Amino acid sequence: MSTVKTADVKEIRLEEYVIRTEPYYLPQGDEISLFEVAYHEKLPVLLKGPTGVGKTRFVEYMSWRLGKTLTTAKPKEKADRDNDGHVGIPLLTVACHEDMTASDLVGRYLIEEEGTRWIDGPLTRAVRYGGICYLDEVVEARKDTTVLIHPLTDHRRILAMEKRGTIMEAHEGFLMVISYNPGYQTALKDLKQSTRQRFIALEFDFPPKEIEAKVVAHESGVDSETAWQLAKLGEKVRNLREHGLQEGASTRLLIYAGKLILRGVSPRRACKVAIVDALTDDAQAQRSVQEVVTSIFE
Amino acid sequence: MGVVFPSIPAIEQELQRFPAAVTEEFQRARQRLEPGMTTDDLLAWGSMGVSLAQQTIRSWEVAAEYYRVSSSVLDDLPMDRFLSWAQHGETLCNQSPPVALAYFRVGRDATSMLTTEQLGAWAQMGLGLYKGTWKSSIMAARFFETSPAMLQALSFAQVGRLVGLLDTVTQQSSDLALDCLSLAAETLPRVPESSEALLNLLAAVSAKSWRDTKGSLEGASKALPKVSREHRARFLSLAEKVAASDHGSVAAFMQEASQALSQIPPEAQPALLSMSEVILAKRPTLLTDFFRSGPMVLSRLRDGQAETWFVEGLKLLEENPDAGVAFFKLESSRSEELMESLSSTVELPRIKDLLRMYCRALAGTTVEIASSKDLAQKGIGWVDETEPTTEGKTVFLPPIVDRHQQKDENFEWYKVVSTHQVAHLEFESFGFLYDEPSVSFRDLRPKLTPKRRKKMGLAANQPQEAAQDGQAEQEWLTDAQKFFDLFPERRIALDIFTVLEDGRLDTRVKREYAGLRKAYGRVQQDTIALRPLEEGQAAQEMLIEFLLRLSLGQRMKLIIPAKYEAEARKMARVARRVFKMGTQVEDTAEGTLRVYAILAQIPNERVPQDEQAEYDDNAEQDSDQESEGESQEFLEQLMASQDQEPGEEQEKEQQESQEGQSPDQQPYSSPKDVDYRGSFKPELVQLLNKLREGQQPQGEQQTQQIDRTQLQEMLQNNVELEAAKGDIKSSALFANNLMREAGMSQSPNMPAMGQGPFVHTDDEGGPLEAREPNTFVYDEWDFRAGDYKPRWCLVREKVVPEGESTFWRQTIAAYGPLLGQIRRQFEMMVPESFRRMKRQPDGDDFDLDATLEAMIDKRSGVTPSDKVYWRRNKIQRDVAVALLLDMSASTAEAIDESTRGQDDWDGPNDPAEYMAWLRARRGEGARRQHKRIIDIEKESTVLLMQALSLLDDKFGIYGFSGYGRENVEFSVIKDMNEPLTETVRRRMDRITPMHATRMGPAIRHATRKLELTDAKTKVLLLLSDGRPQDRGYSREGVEKEYAVHDTKRALTEARSKAITPFCLTVDKAGHDYLKTMCQDMGYEVLADIWTLPERLPYLYRRLTV
Repeated sequence: MSTVKTADVKEIRLEEYVIRTEPYYLPQGDEISLFEVAYHEKLPVLLKGPTGVGKTRFVEYMSWRLGKTLTTAKPKEKADRDNDGHVGIPLLTVACHEDMTASDLVGRYLIEEEGTRWIDGPLTRAVRYGGICYLDEVVEARKDTTVLIHPLTDHRRILAMEKRGTIMEAHEGFLMVISYNPGYQTALKDLKQSTRQRFIALEFDFPPKEIEAKVVAHESGVDSETAWQLAKLGEKVRNLREHGLQEGASTRLLIYAGKLILRGVSPRRACKVAIVDALTDDAQAQRSVQEVVTSIFE
Repeated sequence: MGVVFPSIPAIEQELQRFPAAVTEEFQRARQRLEPGMTTDDLLAWGSMGVSLAQQTIRSWEVAAEYYRVSSSVLDDLPMDRFLSWAQHGETLCNQSPPVALAYFRVGRDATSMLTTEQLGAWAQMGLGLYKGTWKSSIMAARFFETSPAMLQALSFAQVGRLVGLLDTVTQQSSDLALDCLSLAAETLPRVPESSEALLNLLAAVSAKSWRDTKGSLEGASKALPKVSREHRARFLSLAEKVAASDHGSVAAFMQEASQALSQIPPEAQPALLSMSEVILAKRPTLLTDFFRSGPMVLSRLRDGQAETWFVEGLKLLEENPDAGVAFFKLESSRSEELMESLSSTVELPRIKDLLRMYCRALAGTTVEIASSKDLAQKGIGWVDETEPTTEGKTVFLPPIVDRHQQKDENFEWYKVVSTHQVAHLEFESFGFLYDEPSVSFRDLRPKLTPKRRKKMGLAANQPQEAAQDGQAEQEWLTDAQKFFDLFPERRIALDIFTVLEDGRLDTRVKREYAGLRKAYGRVQQDTIALRPLEEGQAAQEMLIEFLLRLSLGQRMKLIIPAKYEAEARKMARVARRVFKMGTQVEDTAEGTLRVYAILAQIPNERVPQDEQAEYDDNAEQDSDQESEGESQEFLEQLMASQDQEPGEEQEKEQQESQEGQSPDQQPYSSPKDVDYRGSFKPELVQLLNKLREGQQPQGEQQTQQIDRTQLQEMLQNNVELEAAKGDIKSSALFANNLMREAGMSQSPNMPAMGQGPFVHTDDEGGPLEAREPNTFVYDEWDFRAGDYKPRWCLVREKVVPEGESTFWRQTIAAYGPLLGQIRRQFEMMVPESFRRMKRQPDGDDFDLDATLEAMIDKRSGVTPSDKVYWRRNKIQRDVAVALLLDMSASTAEAIDESTRGQDDWDGPNDPAEYMAWLRARRGEGARRQHKRIIDIEKESTVLLMQALSLLDDKFGIYGFSGYGRENVEFSVIKDMNEPLTETVRRRMDRITPMHATRMGPAIRHATRKLELTDAKTKVLLLLSDGRPQDRGYSREGVEKEYAVHDTKRALTEARSKAITPFCLTVDKAGHDYLKTMCQDMGYEVLADIWTLPERLPYLYRRLTV
């Protein structure tokens, strides 16, 4: 939740945060149309896939895209117009963590001078005003959050606000999207069947080299040759998943490396800081990946 | 000399008294001498003989010998000197005729090398050696016999010294002296340049101990030839210093030193010698060990580097002698690391892990890295122990690379080589499909039909089965086999295929891996530069070499037969199409067909020098696709070549060469392998892969199993094996090996893969390597050296076999009440972990008390605290425990609480005695039906495991024992992630006392297990009955310290990895060493072993909270 307030940083209320410019997204398959259908049919969506594969980007893109085609999901009238007249649907992203409780999602009372004041949590806001509530890495959250998720993700579509003693019916445009990474789940932190069976699951994996090269080129601005090499590096490093590395290099890291290269950092050095060292602390693994880097880049 | 006879007849008459031989010799000599001598001289000469003969009964032999040699001696000596020579002989004869006989016999050979004065001295030396005994007469005689040879090698003075030395020895033992003389006479002439040094050495040795003289001489005679000439003197002076010091025998020194020196090149010998000199001065006892390690160091390091290493070792030797000794013995990590950092050599074991990951990244499959040696030993068709290659799953690399001065470059070579090998997998050399179309050719394969090669041997004998076999074989035919069946000359086809495919991969790698391009190019350039232009190549060979060089990137000055320039151009065009971007192995196949078609038109005739031409490949622009016409032409040529039956052709060829009809036509021989590409066996790998596939459970239905006979038959004319055939006795064995490699069922006499029998390596041996599955190596701490002995212990992990479940049930039943108690305690641990934390800055809800306080504070004008929330802090139990059970033989001791006294508890310290004592104990225990320590250990563990099933804790139960550092047994009863199943319970039954106790490696292995487990709290619980004890770990009482220190070190290591170690022991004498072992770590000595079952669960709770 952003609460930073400085002079030149725009502070936007959570429910008013809409994606106004088209995020760059290259589909790998039919995920866009599936998501659209899910949104219309109010089917909660589970995004599976390793980190940095583009799950968040996809949600952003969908929030923008749905706003373009959907008129019903218009939030409050005044906070909605941007320069080209485009109206997105609000996107409320919550990065889940171990200590996140139901209160963090629903809201809590704050003490004010005379008495207390209720403030809505991000989930309540999405439910109240309509919008996509995106719970990133949902398995990290405390188990009590499932109490909230369950009634919202079946036919009831209601949010029980225990502390206030009320129930809120979800707005037409509300959609619950959660993500999780099956790769590093332990038995303790797996998604329960009762939860996962409330979502349609869209599986994400790293895109094929051709697509990834395009993404890297677009996002970082490097030439297509470098982008191709970065994508190749990504592919090679991902071969080491479960063979010395926990995770393969994410597209995000490839883009970082690309940005460094574009700014004049030598490719080998850029890959070292953005990929090799970012991926692992194991000296042996670092050296191995670096050898792959030096094979690919001059 | 006695009387001078007045006339010759008088002499003759006198001589009549002696055997006829004397007169004969006299007459013979007289005839020769008479013409050139005055009568006086002649008479003096003759009379001397008579005088000699008259000396004693046997002296006539001396006289005869005198006459025999005198004419030749007189050639050299004037009469007066001759007479003095003879007189010396007379003196000798007077003492001992045999000595005199030897004196005269060497005659001129000796006299020609001596001056007048020396002549006397020389005779005197011999005389001196004669002490009036029979043995000394042999000695003196031998001296004269060997004199000529020695005088050749030594100066006269040196001979004198030698005689002096011998004299000293003779006084002690004349036999020994005689041996010494023989040895010296044998050795010295062979090493004339070192004679002075050798004499000095002998002097030093005999001064110290006369007994060693012979040994030293023997040593020298064996050692010196191994030492290069110019360093011999230095070697001997070193030996002399050894002799002067009190350490070790010179003979042993010489043996070791010369052995060491012979292992290194002559230019490195001075370095080893000067190092040895320093070591001898500093620490003589270390010299022997240094001779073992020295050659290794010097062969790995270059001059300056070795120097640095040595100086570092010396420094260490001063600071900490034990560490220094370990350093020079190469038994310390520091030494190895330093050597590694200094050396330019790259060894495979050191970079194996690195390369494995690298290769896996590139290939995208689970590639293994191994030494080429391993593959050669498997006997499945690869024979070279240094050539890189791959068999489809593993990349085999040479064990060591020392091609360049710089380490980086050597590593780079490794990288290039492994990239090339992995490229076979990455760009799918072995994925060849016969029916898959190529990219840049008009496919000819569909238009050709493979001709099954003629069956030989088996088929002829078993005509009926042949048909069936044929069918099975068809199913087993790999695509590569099918392809090579197209060619009458498989060897040529394979060579072309290899060159084109390697070239395709090289081009591809260089394009795909820009970063490697330079290094790759360098390796290719080096290869071209080192590739000799072979003399007397025939046309086909020359053209294949041409193709090979093209594939290596050579463009200019390629040698071709002048009359086949057009063909060469065609081949180059085909090659270019194969080497294009995006081509597949099928393009290589198509290319092979075309090149083969071209070569088939050309007779393999010798190309004389003047018919060779240089060819520059000027990269003419080809059209991407070949034209219809081109491919048609190739097709026709191929069809034509196919019509020739291979057998016929061979026969014809043989006939021709035998009858000498066509002397120019040569049998084809393959080009020299390209070192960085190694050997490529597409057919074999595809076959192996297919065999492996057949082993997969799901594949069993689809692929028919092949039996050995069929396989054998199929392999019979596989050209890839030809080179290997000499090494593999029969194709049956080969087929067997291949099937074993693929993991297929073997004949019963083939031992199954797995852990081999115990191998006892010497404790003094070097580091170990974990070659087998489930083996692990660990360093061991040498407290004296203050350093680790690298890779010192080999832990063999194995799962305990299942036994009966009765043991488990009985224990549970027997400890019913206690178990209930333990269970309750464990249950209580669960709610303990929920706690409501008050006065938090944030939380689930308001903490009413705190909120009220805050309100009141505010009202009363005090700044209120903002900690007004409570939070339920669920402390999740996140515990992993490894329980290590001592399974050493000593746990077989029976427990008899009432009678056994404390003194009795400690067994004898001598291991042999101890074992005997134990055996007696064990027998006794069994007879008395007493419980043994291990039984209590087991029961306690059962109770703990039962109680643990209430908690979510991860725990592993392991036992350890072993024998020697290479056999540390680590028995898995329950692995960390294994659920507590019936199987595990049954395993408990089979825990029995085994061998010794080497705790260090067991702790290290358990630590590794914990490390791999994800938990917040990690505990290592060591349950033992006594101090660590093992061969070479603790012995004869004095060595205890080593074991204790290593164990302590292992525990410290565990703690540094956030693991809490705890030692629980039932050894009552435990306090003394446990204090050292666990200084600041938790430990407990159980006074009463019977309390273990309740104590263990208690400790568990205490440790894991």
